[in-house]
Amino acid sequence: MLQRLSTLGRFGAFSGQVLWRSVTPYWELDSTATHLWALWWRCLLPVLATTTPLGMVMALQGLQIFDLYGAQRLLSPLVSVATFRELSPVLASVLVAAQGGSSFAAELGAMKISEELDATEVMAIDPLRVHVVPRFLAVLIACPMLNLAGSLGGIFGGFVSAVVLKGETAGIYWANLWLMTRTSDLFGGFVKTFVFGAIIGLVACWFGTQAKGGAPGVGRAVNDTVVYACTTFIVVNYFLTSALFGAIG
Amino acid sequence: MSGVISLLSQLGAFGNFVASFVRASLTHPPPVERTFEEAYRIGVQSLPILLIVSVFVGTNLAVQGHNAFEQLGGQSMVGTFVALAGIREMAPIMVASMVAAKAGTEMASQIAVMRIQEQIDALEVMAINPLWFLVTPRLLGILLVLPGLTMISVASLLFAAWVVAMAQLGLNGTEFLVQCAEITRGVDLLFGAVKAFVFAIIICLVSCFFGYTSPKGPAGVGKATNSAVVVSAVVCAILNYLMSEMLYG
Repeated sequence: MLQRLSTLGRFGAFSGQVLWRSVTPYWELDSTATHLWALWWRCLLPVLATTTPLGMVMALQGLQIFDLYGAQRLLSPLVSVATFRELSPVLASVLVAAQGGSSFAAELGAMKISEELDATEVMAIDPLRVHVVPRFLAVLIACPMLNLAGSLGGIFGGFVSAVVLKGETAGIYWANLWLMTRTSDLFGGFVKTFVFGAIIGLVACWFGTQAKGGAPGVGRAVNDTVVYACTTFIVVNYFLTSALFGAIG
Repeated sequence: MSGVISLLSQLGAFGNFVASFVRASLTHPPPVERTFEEAYRIGVQSLPILLIVSVFVGTNLAVQGHNAFEQLGGQSMVGTFVALAGIREMAPIMVASMVAAKAGTEMASQIAVMRIQEQIDALEVMAINPLWFLVTPRLLGILLVLPGLTMISVASLLFAAWVVAMAQLGLNGTEFLVQCAEITRGVDLLFGAVKAFVFAIIICLVSCFFGYTSPKGPAGVGKATNSAVVVSAVVCAILNYLMSEMLYG
């Protein structure tokens, strides 16, 4: 118990250091851009490949409810609201944690094990600034971008399921799409993914830089990153939903 | 182009892996004792995060359902929405992704470490079939626990949604429960268990495959673990749509 609290405290200190270094100059802009580009391309396909089938599932199940009330025209508003508010932010972040976060943890863990991080420090270069902050910033920026891609994937999935497979009218799907979606939903999704991206970045870099004990240590770091990042942001998600959309209505 | 070829060769290697795994499992006596060990470990390890995640997904479903249906003047439909979305879709896919994140990554990293430390070769030298020794108990173990975990997740999700509906949204608790009971059929729970079975097979085989064919070195273990969780999450999401289409479509 005591040990957990002290780990939590050290994580807090680590987060503080990373956050402080990400708002003060100088920034390793080249490195950040490289990580951002790599992260975007590595995560794009997995994100699309999960949000699209879930959009299809939502249209499939939604049609069954709306068929009961003869209100099929409400399907596309439901799909777009659910996608923008919940589905895409959460799913895109889960995939970013699984793909991007865990690969960052693996890279940093391997560097820690082979004492590259210590070597950087010996050369009087701050390892946090050159190795951690660029990765943190890359996740922070990539997460909202991937969320947008995921939202489009979800809406497209709903279209495929409802119109192409179930034979609803295409015009009704597109015309009603924005019936209930407001700009605030889009911004809400952005705020959420921004917070989730910060959580993923901090958790991944923390477990990566704390890896010890050879190859098993790297495996454990990757494992812990995915589990802790996903659990934390699903819990945070509820509070963000209540705060962002509970008030707006 | 080379990407496509390497993808195809990975697929072929996976097919080979599954075929030799099936042959090994059928020609050897089932490892009863190790199966129960694995089942216990997978179940106990995944249960805490699963409970946390299910509770918060349940609360979230209630809040979002309330928001979405308020605009249609159907606040009273929250129970229907939560039961339908929660039992049919959210619980199985969520359990699958959390178990992939927790137990799947662990399988991948354990087996990958054994591979790079040449323990798997050592098993072969001792005339023990490594697939039978390592993969069979994990598959049987995860098959034993995953349907049970799904049911636990359904129960905690509904309970959390019920508490939120009464405490945060001010709805009538009895009415909520009546709606849940009206919309849910017994087969929905059965279908949830069927989905869980399929997801269990996918998660276990994919994770063990990536661990078994891990590249060298600590970075290789990280990479294997990373690929395991991403590929199993994506495949589960796609299969989830196909199964929903077959079972409910």
